[in-house]
Amino acid sequence: MKRRTFLALSGATLAAGAVAAGAFAGWTLGGNGVQPLLLSARNDATGKHYAVGYRLDGSQVFATRVGERCHDVVAHPSLPLALFVGRRPSTRSYLLDTRDGRLLQTLESPAQRHFYGHAVFHKDGQWLYATENDTSDPGRGVLGVYRLQGGQLQRTGELSSHGLGPHQLLWLPDGETLVVANGGIRTEAESRVEMNLDSMDSSLVLLDRDGGLLSQERLPERMNSVRHLAVASDGTIVSAQQYMGDPADPVPLLAIKRPGQAFQHFALGEAQRQAMKQYSASVAIHSELRLLALTAPRGNRVFIWDLDSAALRLDAPLADCAGIGTVAEGFVVSTGVSRCRLFDCRSGAITAQPLQLPAGLWDNHLRLV
Amino acid sequence: MIRSPLTLALLSLALAACSPVDPQQAVSSALTDGVLLPAYSSWAEANGQLAQSGQAFCADGQTLSDARQAFLAAQSAWAGLQPLQIGPLAEGNRAWQVQFWPDKKNLVARQVQALLKSKPALTPADLDKASVVVQGLTAYEYLVYDPTIDLANAEQKARYCPLLVAIGQHQRALAADVLERWQAKDGMAAQLQGFPNQRYAEAAEAVAELLRTQVSALDGLKKKLGTPLGRQSKGQPQPYQAEAWRSQASLANLAAGLASAERIWRGAEQDGIQALLGSERNELKERIDAAYSDTRQRLAALQRPLGELLGDQAGRGELNALYDSLNALHRLHETELANSLGIQMGFNAHDGD
Repeated sequence: MKRRTFLALSGATLAAGAVAAGAFAGWTLGGNGVQPLLLSARNDATGKHYAVGYRLDGSQVFATRVGERCHDVVAHPSLPLALFVGRRPSTRSYLLDTRDGRLLQTLESPAQRHFYGHAVFHKDGQWLYATENDTSDPGRGVLGVYRLQGGQLQRTGELSSHGLGPHQLLWLPDGETLVVANGGIRTEAESRVEMNLDSMDSSLVLLDRDGGLLSQERLPERMNSVRHLAVASDGTIVSAQQYMGDPADPVPLLAIKRPGQAFQHFALGEAQRQAMKQYSASVAIHSELRLLALTAPRGNRVFIWDLDSAALRLDAPLADCAGIGTVAEGFVVSTGVSRCRLFDCRSGAITAQPLQLPAGLWDNHLRLV
Repeated sequence: MIRSPLTLALLSLALAACSPVDPQQAVSSALTDGVLLPAYSSWAEANGQLAQSGQAFCADGQTLSDARQAFLAAQSAWAGLQPLQIGPLAEGNRAWQVQFWPDKKNLVARQVQALLKSKPALTPADLDKASVVVQGLTAYEYLVYDPTIDLANAEQKARYCPLLVAIGQHQRALAADVLERWQAKDGMAAQLQGFPNQRYAEAAEAVAELLRTQVSALDGLKKKLGTPLGRQSKGQPQPYQAEAWRSQASLANLAAGLASAERIWRGAEQDGIQALLGSERNELKERIDAAYSDTRQRLAALQRPLGELLGDQAGRGELNALYDSLNALHRLHETELANSLGIQMGFNAHDGD
């Protein structure tokens, strides 16, 4: 059965310019005739903060003003809800109705806890887990556990992240095992200043839903902070790092844990390693195409590799690129300063096509639902 | 009277060429032809002459003074490229191969000595595989200017010449490669002139990147002045952390960078970034013009090399005033000009999450 449907666009939509005509000719997005909904935090030109939802043809579904910069967005598995998670060291996250952007709840973290910008809904839709800082012991990582009842999230308890400064967390394909990127950095409430660069302890942790530690692994470089994650449908985990040490240190920022194997550096070319400038923003896996993508906004590069062979498929310029999501064709990438791009990976030569979404001011992550 | 179909076809082409062009595309295109390509060509040419000079000097066909002149010309062309470092030179680790700055630990001297110890008969191929620290102009400057090296002494000349020749060749090849990447079909120049392409979705993205590159270079000029002034080290002057301190060209390099930044603003024929500000923005335009003029004049008025100016209170006062002037110029671009043009300076790159 053909899942993809051709995107029908009227001439009027394309009247905006030849760019659009070139961009949209011949590619398809989404299923059932509905384009995926792109969710992201975004600013406006005056610096105000929004939680936004756009169809990939550029039509706005909602843009809801929020009190601060959000980071990741976590969509509910079955209901039209999404939590826009406050950026470190925020104590608030925003639960929105993704049909119209209505704010359903401003979720507050409890005393002596703040969000780190990432969360996940459990597959049954009843539970949400968010990475948080225990500011009474700055940097001690916890996972706040929240229950969704009557359209509101309520905190019911917390688990240890088994590490310092946890950042992104995701489910393994069983939907019951969590993988957590403990960034290894201690920060205090209301601060973004690192307190322990001389004693960082970053790790990749697997734990069950009750908080039981299944494994904890570290990279060889102490100052290599594991921040962002992607998980393939076969359970392969990829992590993207930010290196806090000397800019000249030759440290790779991409690591992989294949099923049943140890957490280790991904085979990365020296040119790509250097081009990242010790900083990555997001990482994503396309399970069907077996591809891995990473954005490096300081190096202004988008990279795509073959997940299995580690062969480089794309090393392309894109200023301030950050958020990545997958569609049938490949990857959608957002940037803080330019138009979003679709990287069409269906043939041997990957091509970049600009999207008709508003240009620039897109924050670090995007989700496509 | 038009008779042949061919004439008709040509006429319509000519009409198309006269049709109003997107102002952003006009600026990006004009800067490419009027400022960027000429600067990259001059740089490649200066490096060709550097390579020739190195060989001639080492074959005793040129004086040390001539060799230094060729070096200064290449270094000046390079300094002028700073506000134009968009595309190939900003990628592939190429800029590090041209210049190693800041060099807080005098790595240049240490690595040159270590390299020549391990490879007394150094070949250009050896250099291509060596660290970027010894591949570029900073190492070349060390060879022809450092007081501990006496190239008038035949023994020393024989020791250092293989490296001198190899650096010249490395720089010539690097500059030629970058120029080729600019001039190639679908190369950098084409990507700044026809849209959309694989790099830019539209002309506005190209203009934005040109401005960001220029603004980041203005910030770089502040660092090049602020570092030896001790602005990052509690006010304690650091003369040996200046760029080009050995050749005493620090201020000349600043002037070359500033001149290029101003060319991005003005354009070769008043067709630079400033052409995008409508007449309602005349006041901002005038303030930016005045800021360039102020910085330029303060720099031109400095009568002594940077190292000397750092040595006394009066000199440091002049340098601090120049720094403030550069800072005002930088801020005007980074905030008011960027805001007026709706250009984002960067967002996620500075996020830190």
